[in-house]
Amino acid sequence: MSGVSKLVQPVAGDNSQPAAGDNSMPAAGDNSMAAFDVERVRHDFPILSQEIYGKPLVFLDSGASAQKPRVVIDSIRECYETYYANVHRGAHYLSQRSTDAFEEARVTIANFINAKTENEVIFTSSVTESINLVAATWGRKFLNAGDEVIVTEMEHHANIVPWQMLEAEKGIVLKVVPITDSGEFLVENFEPLLSERTKLVAITECSNVLGTMVPVKKVIEMAHDHGVPVLLDGAQGIVHHGVDVQELDCDFYAFTGHKLYGPSGIGVLYGKWDILNTMPPYQGGGDMIERVSFAGTTFKEPPHRFEAGTPPIAQAIGLGAAVRYVSSLGIDNISAHEQGILAYATEQMKNIEGLRLYGEAPEKAAIMSFTVDGTHPFDVAAILDRAGVAVRVGQHCAEPLMDRLGIEGTVRASFGLYNNRADVDALVQAIEKARGMLK
Amino acid sequence: MSLNLEKYNDFVESLEIIDDEDMRFEYIIDMGKRARAVEFPASWKVDKNLMHGCMSRVWIVDEPRDGRHYFRGDSDAIIVKGLVTMMTESFSGLTGEELSELTVEQISKLNLGALTTQRQVGMLAMLEHLKKLGRQSVDALAGAE
Repeated sequence: MSGVSKLVQPVAGDNSQPAAGDNSMPAAGDNSMAAFDVERVRHDFPILSQEIYGKPLVFLDSGASAQKPRVVIDSIRECYETYYANVHRGAHYLSQRSTDAFEEARVTIANFINAKTENEVIFTSSVTESINLVAATWGRKFLNAGDEVIVTEMEHHANIVPWQMLEAEKGIVLKVVPITDSGEFLVENFEPLLSERTKLVAITECSNVLGTMVPVKKVIEMAHDHGVPVLLDGAQGIVHHGVDVQELDCDFYAFTGHKLYGPSGIGVLYGKWDILNTMPPYQGGGDMIERVSFAGTTFKEPPHRFEAGTPPIAQAIGLGAAVRYVSSLGIDNISAHEQGILAYATEQMKNIEGLRLYGEAPEKAAIMSFTVDGTHPFDVAAILDRAGVAVRVGQHCAEPLMDRLGIEGTVRASFGLYNNRADVDALVQAIEKARGMLK
Repeated sequence: MSLNLEKYNDFVESLEIIDDEDMRFEYIIDMGKRARAVEFPASWKVDKNLMHGCMSRVWIVDEPRDGRHYFRGDSDAIIVKGLVTMMTESFSGLTGEELSELTVEQISKLNLGALTTQRQVGMLAMLEHLKKLGRQSVDALAGAE
């Protein structure tokens, strides 16, 4: 598929996929909370109905990786059972069908993030690969010694290390926006770091530890006023609030499938086409070339220039199904539901003696990091696990943030669209139990 | 195997009697709490005594005397402290050669059903670490002679 196609609203149920949930699901963009029935949504996720150690599973680790609705699982199974073949080598029927489904997923995703064209959507394996791709191609080509890249104190390692590698290789300089004690990103702390040496702003849209939402729209405006492009790490942001890349006017946006209720092994890099087209290839191989000869090789246009080798075919198709599912529920409905759960959980958790919450920014996604006085996060998480409550524990791939907070780690409960108040109650009860046992 | 594993056998016996998973868990926690009473000097909590690959920090010190190894361990997490204490108490007083005879079987016999696979892996890592310390000290002694 090439050229700019007319983008249409994603339609649940295309590609012979059943509609997400059932037919009475609200259309995307429907804001009425009544339309979002979390108990019905939970039935879409087969894994949630099981028991762990004889207790109902309470899954609060979606920030690490979310569970998958049946429509996603079915789409992958259908691909492998009925039409799987390698893509872009269309000499036979199955290959053509696979290619169609694969490219259709790209269009679905382009619609979901409101890209101008699906050619701005590059399939990668993960956010990590997406950011490394930008660093290795755009970064190597356009960044030189002394050039500055601005990140924040609350980046995931995936948005620190690729730039540090360029620091070592080319002598670029990393500038770090400090956060406040409550985990907030203040524009006034960002602005002084912008200078004529700034060549890129590469920041998280939403902290994976604190849930802090960064005012990215404002950041992008300010960066663009200085002629500086902006890359957003949307790994967490897109899950809780969706994204409109044209409205934000970001230059790059990286996200991953497995946190967005899709399969693992598939990520996305959105880039403005004009920028992508200036970038050299990432990896060399098949599928990214126009013509190969020993006299010289010419490369395809984006996005294929950046997709060397056989891509994650079923995973991309599965991500398309996940995006249709999320769209069918409505990202605004999901967001409102999660905000309700977050407010309830915050209120309940604050009643627990000795519990410290990290990250109390006013704009915050449903991610809660905490410690309990006199206990080690590992012990709390181990007892939570015994109670059937799945959380993450440790540094969450954000060591510099842990240093900033002066702690070694936290327990993190991260909520997804399928979590309900009963999950919060089970969490609170399990924390109380842990407090008792560890006293 | 004719190793003197009296302490270890006590643990195996105690854990065998407990038939409730949660109780077994509490047994480990209690062991960690009791171990708190025995001082593990701050000067021992240094990188060279740190065991790598754990979710919480684990320090293990070997104090060999009369050709036998006596281990002390600590962790900042109480459950891990309980486990490391169980390991160091179980396998102290052995020679390097005796340590090298210990196998995964010793760990499985502890019947730590309450512990997830991840922590059982941690126990194996601890066992390997004790064996390594046993070898290192012997090597060091041999080098000094």
